[in-house]
Amino acid sequence: MSPAAAGAASSGEAPPSRPPRELYTIPASSGWFRWDDIHETERQALPDFFGGAGGTGFGTASRNPRIYREYRDYIINKYREDPARRLTFTEVRKALVGDATLLRKLFGFLDAFGLINFSATSSRPAAQQPGPGAVVEAPLGLQVTPRPPASYFAEERLGGGTGDGAFRLPQLTSYTDVFGEWAPGKGPICGFCGEECKDGKVETLKDGFKVCSTCCKTNSTNKEEANKCSIVKKESSDNHASSAWTDAETLLLLEGVLKHGDDWDLITQHVRTKNKTECIARLIQLPFGEHMLGNINGKSDSRFQTNQTTDGKTNHFIVKDASSQSTDMVDGMQIDGEEDGADKLVEDHPSKRRRLCSSIDVTSSLMEQLALLTTAVSPDVVAAAAAASVKALGNENPQAKKAFHFIEKEYQVKSFSSNHVQESDCNVGNKEAEMHGQTVPDEKMEKKFISTAYQVRAAVGTAVGVAAARAKMLVDQEEREMELLMASIIETQLRKIQYKIKHFDELELIMDQEYNTIQQIKESLMKEWQTVLERAFQTGAPLQRDEVLTRLFLDRSTP
Amino acid sequence: MKTVSLGAPRSSTVKFRMPTRDNLVPIRVDIEVDGQRYRDAFTWNPRDPDSEVITFAKRTAKELKLPATFVPQMLHSIQGQLAEFRSYEGQEMQVKEKIMPLKIDLRVNNTIVRDQFLWDIGNLESDPEEFARTLCDDLNITDPEVGPAIAVCIREQLYEIASQTVSAMREAKMSKKRRAPEFASNSKAMNNAVDMFKYFGSKGSVIRKRKEWYLYEPVVDVVPKEEAAVVDAKEQLK
Repeated sequence: MSPAAAGAASSGEAPPSRPPRELYTIPASSGWFRWDDIHETERQALPDFFGGAGGTGFGTASRNPRIYREYRDYIINKYREDPARRLTFTEVRKALVGDATLLRKLFGFLDAFGLINFSATSSRPAAQQPGPGAVVEAPLGLQVTPRPPASYFAEERLGGGTGDGAFRLPQLTSYTDVFGEWAPGKGPICGFCGEECKDGKVETLKDGFKVCSTCCKTNSTNKEEANKCSIVKKESSDNHASSAWTDAETLLLLEGVLKHGDDWDLITQHVRTKNKTECIARLIQLPFGEHMLGNINGKSDSRFQTNQTTDGKTNHFIVKDASSQSTDMVDGMQIDGEEDGADKLVEDHPSKRRRLCSSIDVTSSLMEQLALLTTAVSPDVVAAAAAASVKALGNENPQAKKAFHFIEKEYQVKSFSSNHVQESDCNVGNKEAEMHGQTVPDEKMEKKFISTAYQVRAAVGTAVGVAAARAKMLVDQEEREMELLMASIIETQLRKIQYKIKHFDELELIMDQEYNTIQQIKESLMKEWQTVLERAFQTGAPLQRDEVLTRLFLDRSTP
Repeated sequence: MKTVSLGAPRSSTVKFRMPTRDNLVPIRVDIEVDGQRYRDAFTWNPRDPDSEVITFAKRTAKELKLPATFVPQMLHSIQGQLAEFRSYEGQEMQVKEKIMPLKIDLRVNNTIVRDQFLWDIGNLESDPEEFARTLCDDLNITDPEVGPAIAVCIREQLYEIASQTVSAMREAKMSKKRRAPEFASNSKAMNNAVDMFKYFGSKGSVIRKRKEWYLYEPVVDVVPKEEAAVVDAKEQLK
């Protein structure tokens, strides 16, 4: 009667793809039992319902296979409402209409075969000993108890080793009853000990069932077994890259976004189990993520503006000697590009926002974003955008032209690619660090700084251009799609109207036909009247009433 | 599924007997001699020779330390009831399914049992003793006298219904020429029976409605000894 044995039997029998159903234990000798059929054993044991030898009352109203099944199913279901409790005949008979003797016989049969009261704990002296083996069988009929959580089975399978054999969930349990509340800010809950995993190290079994490291150790004897059926993933709080998002995590993410706006560090802290990039990626993936982010951005617009000004300041600091005009110019360009993008496409909106806000905290991440953006389109487009931005910069500022000339000499051999951009970006980062450290820059170095600053601007411009190009592409696509849809709508409408016209034509035809037939009928009627009248005149004097009627009829039909 | 004709239940006739597996007659004795009262209820096999009754009466009186004056009274009572039973025995009894509600309202020592359930009069396999035993087991009734008392109570009711049916049949036979017998004989006895169509027809359900459960549920009360004594006294006054 140990659930471990039951679990083992079930894992062998039940197809794994099936949704988890309740498991009930019945003795192996009663494995013939089926909800949708009546077995030969039943027929032989209770001939009253089925006729045959000793079936005295068969064929009467209250004894037939249908009634038998109703009785049987009710009793078994009643027992399964609470398998741990012994079901008594007295309890059953109050709910069943029928001969008490017959019901008792049926009850005794079910009891003897272990279909009821098999797992009941409160045993009577008459309680039978469990058989050598047990098969597990899930009901198809009425289910009174809710489905246990998916992890219940895993728990049963693995928990058989640690806990005592009689592990049993109380009825009407929910996930939180058993595994505790998983509140935000806590570590994941271990499926074994039900405690919070404080060290942040958990192992996830294949069904998303988390086990903390301590339990893992204690369970190491079972581990080989567990390894067979489950893929164990070491998860530390830093390395979540491959793990999927659970509903709880997504909820936390949304909460965090609502609470902290686009401060991704705080959001990451809120979610805890995922890192920043994952959070961002997840929010973008969500069907309504953009919308949400858009709203938040709208709200925190003012903050964003201040950020921009600080951005300008930092820019100013970096490019010490560069004229303030050029800084403004770059900012203006950024904004221009942004406006372009906003006009053309909404889809690219969040990514652009993100790029800008992340540029505030780390320059390297900006570069990464740029690189990412540039890889989104073909290298030709990138090259074109870069060339355009370089040209524009050169036109605005002759100093910049010089700087770019210098750079071109340096990188003459290499072609312009997205990798290249990143490389140069790294360069820029290093040089910046140097610049921060050095206090007295000499002439040449200064020139280099200027050149790198322009380089950054060129890169930004490139990215914006690329984004715009992509946006334009997408807009075109959308437009085409819209046109297509519109055309199809119009076509459908036209077809509808055509159908209508056709229908009306048919109707008209029918009406015409009907009109004709009516006319014919009228004529024939007239003729008949005529003959009748003629006859009447020939035979003798007609009745006056008839005459009046005919006159009336004639009067009416003539006009 | 095979449809079962509800209107024509299979029936056969047997010589009159108790409609249970064991043909045991319920006997109730209630006699009073010289201010002493003897009340008892038990079952008796009508096949046993009459000499057994005498032995039984003598033995009971001896064991209960009753005066010898009780013995003839007991004999009279028991033999009278057996004779009544035997008077029916020669007659034909129709065996067909008829499900009747039986009611139990008993007080044995200080246990009160109230119950109602359905019983098929036509089921010659029924076993009131077994039923009573199950009931006592299920409800944890410890008093050993309760079970037999319930069984006897069931038997008494079955006996009454069976004898009524037989009398009705005899009457019907006598007036067969004038009236439609079936109708006359059934109308009275069937009054109480369960409507078969309602529950066992293809549209009915044998699962009783939840709100009716309490009607068919046994209720057991254990009253203190003093109260039981008071009730006893009241009954004796009647």
